[in-house]
Amino acid sequence: MTAKRAVARRGPAQAARTIAGLALGDFRDRVRRPAYLVILAAAVGLGYLAVPEPDSRWAVLNLGHYRGLYTSAYVGMATALAGAIWLTLGGFYVVRNAIARDAASGVGEVLAATPLRTSAYFAAKFLGNLLVLGSMLGVLAGTALVVQLARGESTAVDPVALVTPFLLIGLPMVAVTAAAALLFEAIPPLRAGPGNIVWFVVWLAIALGGQSPHAPLGGIGVHPVAVSMREEMVARGIDPSGQEFSLGLTYRDRPLRTFEWSGFDPDAAFVLGRVGLVAVAALLALLPALWFGRFDPARRAAPVPEPPAAPEPAAALPEPPAVRRPALAGAGARRGVAAGRLLAGELRILLQGVSRRWWLGALAIGVVAAVAPAPAVAGFVLPVAWIWPVLIWSRLGTQRHEYGVESLVAAYPAARLRLLAEWAAGAAVAAATGAVPLARMALAGDRAGVAAWCAAVLFIPAFALALGTLSRTHRLFQIVYLVLWYGAVNGVPVVDYMGIVRDGGGPAGPPSGAIAGLAVALLAVVPVIERGRRAGSVPGRR
Amino acid sequence: MLELVDVTKVYPGGKRAVDGVTLRLEPGLIGLLGPNGAGKSSLMRIAATVTRPTSGTVVFDGVDVVARPDVLRRVLGYLPQDFGVYPNLSAREFLGYLAAAKGIPARTARRHIDHLLELVNLADVGRRPLGGYSGGMLRRVGIAQALLGDPRVIIVDEPTAGLDPTERVRFRNLLSELAADRVVLLSTHIVSDVESVASDMAVVAGGRLRRRGSPEELLREVDGLVWEVLLADPADVAEVQARHVVTRLVRTPGGVRVRLLAAARPYPGAAAVIPDLEDAYLALVDPRMHAATEVVRR
Repeated sequence: MTAKRAVARRGPAQAARTIAGLALGDFRDRVRRPAYLVILAAAVGLGYLAVPEPDSRWAVLNLGHYRGLYTSAYVGMATALAGAIWLTLGGFYVVRNAIARDAASGVGEVLAATPLRTSAYFAAKFLGNLLVLGSMLGVLAGTALVVQLARGESTAVDPVALVTPFLLIGLPMVAVTAAAALLFEAIPPLRAGPGNIVWFVVWLAIALGGQSPHAPLGGIGVHPVAVSMREEMVARGIDPSGQEFSLGLTYRDRPLRTFEWSGFDPDAAFVLGRVGLVAVAALLALLPALWFGRFDPARRAAPVPEPPAAPEPAAALPEPPAVRRPALAGAGARRGVAAGRLLAGELRILLQGVSRRWWLGALAIGVVAAVAPAPAVAGFVLPVAWIWPVLIWSRLGTQRHEYGVESLVAAYPAARLRLLAEWAAGAAVAAATGAVPLARMALAGDRAGVAAWCAAVLFIPAFALALGTLSRTHRLFQIVYLVLWYGAVNGVPVVDYMGIVRDGGGPAGPPSGAIAGLAVALLAVVPVIERGRRAGSVPGRR
Repeated sequence: MLELVDVTKVYPGGKRAVDGVTLRLEPGLIGLLGPNGAGKSSLMRIAATVTRPTSGTVVFDGVDVVARPDVLRRVLGYLPQDFGVYPNLSAREFLGYLAAAKGIPARTARRHIDHLLELVNLADVGRRPLGGYSGGMLRRVGIAQALLGDPRVIIVDEPTAGLDPTERVRFRNLLSELAADRVVLLSTHIVSDVESVASDMAVVAGGRLRRRGSPEELLREVDGLVWEVLLADPADVAEVQARHVVTRLVRTPGGVRVRLLAAARPYPGAAAVIPDLEDAYLALVDPRMHAATEVVRR
């Protein structure tokens, strides 16, 4: 009886130790990469941005023309809410490769051959994701304390008021993010680029719908906070009607006025909702255990390349192991002689594996551009035409590394010409998908639109190539470009690289020359990044 | 022709992978031997202009190719130890792309790709996506790309890894043939890969060049240092291994036949045997034998 109890007790304890050990290993592997320091720096930056200078016109959190005085309660809440919103977006892309890393390193296959249960594997990965995002949240909390003291509106530090928002609002949201990242990785259609785009849309829904009083499990948890702030305003004789609660990142015409907010006293229902959200996140994270293939190539959804049907020629060769002298004479390399074929090769590489659906989509966009009314071409069809290839552009600068071809071509001549050909391939995609809108703008005599179009064709692939070379992942360009595109589509002139935000008929955004200049500058930076990488490369590390 | 002069490579973190190596390469096949982590691959990457040395120079036909790498790259065929391919491209397309990167004219490229695919026995599958190739077939694609453009210098790092025995021998013979009027630098830790084809060998260990010479010269250095002894009790093997560099162990009904390196007769029943290149290699890379090989050398 005693022995049975001991076994029963040892089971869950052993499983918990295994999960904790795996999660810790995962966390260590991630935090020892240089990219982690960049991530933490981003968290510090977000903390700084959440509590701007008193005379600043940027605001992450405001009630109309008002904000709270920078007390521990307000600084903690503003920073935690900024984290809840922005870590949900950025954090997803940070932790989005938990399973992919195991697959690429071969560790997954090793784990698959151990008695580790699939659910325990997912629990560990969820915990690993949570630790990474939690550490960012921790850095945000530390930054909040420093910023509160630096701003100097209140030097009285209340640790409980400062930290509670991170636990009740930030943590549940990063738990949801950690789980969603894992879930997306385990669903084949969402595993790669399309998942990154889908998450951006999901995030928009969370950021907007999550602030609603009717959001499930309290959503982001912002509604009771807004109510509490309004009550405080009333108590202090400020009329809150017309003072809209805003969370995100907005630019104000003039600095915000202040009121003192004494803090938020969460009731039991609110706390239960938060705990419920974490529980739902944990369940979501464990869900893929139902179908996950444990790194078995035979169970992958995507077809594994089959070996050729014919036996390997070597096996069928009756001849003795002798060779003819290779007839290679006259095949000498000549400088610049093959630029056209190089471009064709880069185009082939860029477009490799693109599905028929993508081509049909591009064709449909072209047809719509041909028949749409003139104002809709620049305002609607062109942005659609230039979001459609985002996954293709995000390959620029990454594929040589991704497929391990880098080690081969590093010893080939004309590295700059290759880079130029790669950029030109991206520009060709931009020109092709935007060709019909260009023709319409040209026919309508929209010179400014044509100039902006030309600048964008130079800029988009240069931007993709620079970010891809820098990060060696598709994700950075996918998310930064999406944010840029979303801003332009929503009429933010400063990020309008397509010339679609118009002011009196002409583009309201940066001049086309500036966009083209930026493209040239980005192109010039790429070889520098490559050289830096090569100088700092350590053997065996990819 | 190609000369590495006092080349040193220190990686971030302080690892000194290559330490003051000087190596002059003329047409012919030179085998670069060394244990794992000896610095072979770093040396190969430096020679192939992929990695810049921390100090020292690489000179090709009188030109400093650290400063002007394209001078060498235009006549170089390089096969790294690890490489990948674009899985959705066929071997023909992939080689076509690399031929364009080398600046080979289109018609010549087509003709040579046909020839190279035949040479590496991939002509029948040259139009299939590379994603469906086996490891050995991909290795052969790597070999084909290294021969693109009629290179005057061929640098191949562990080229036979993953090849079946037939292909392994074919490739060794091919390199030997090519070495008639080209510089061929072949790195490996498998002695048999170079002993039949290399006229010249360099042994590296700990980032340093331990020895350079013909196979005969290397063999002479271990003359009288190789012994065979039959151990009746298998339990003695561990002790022998602790005291000597053991190059071979064969279990026989009468006990364990041990081939080992020692400066003098190690056991009363030990018999001196004719050394082979593997013995010479192990004597050169094992610090326990450095003093003995120096004595023989003098």
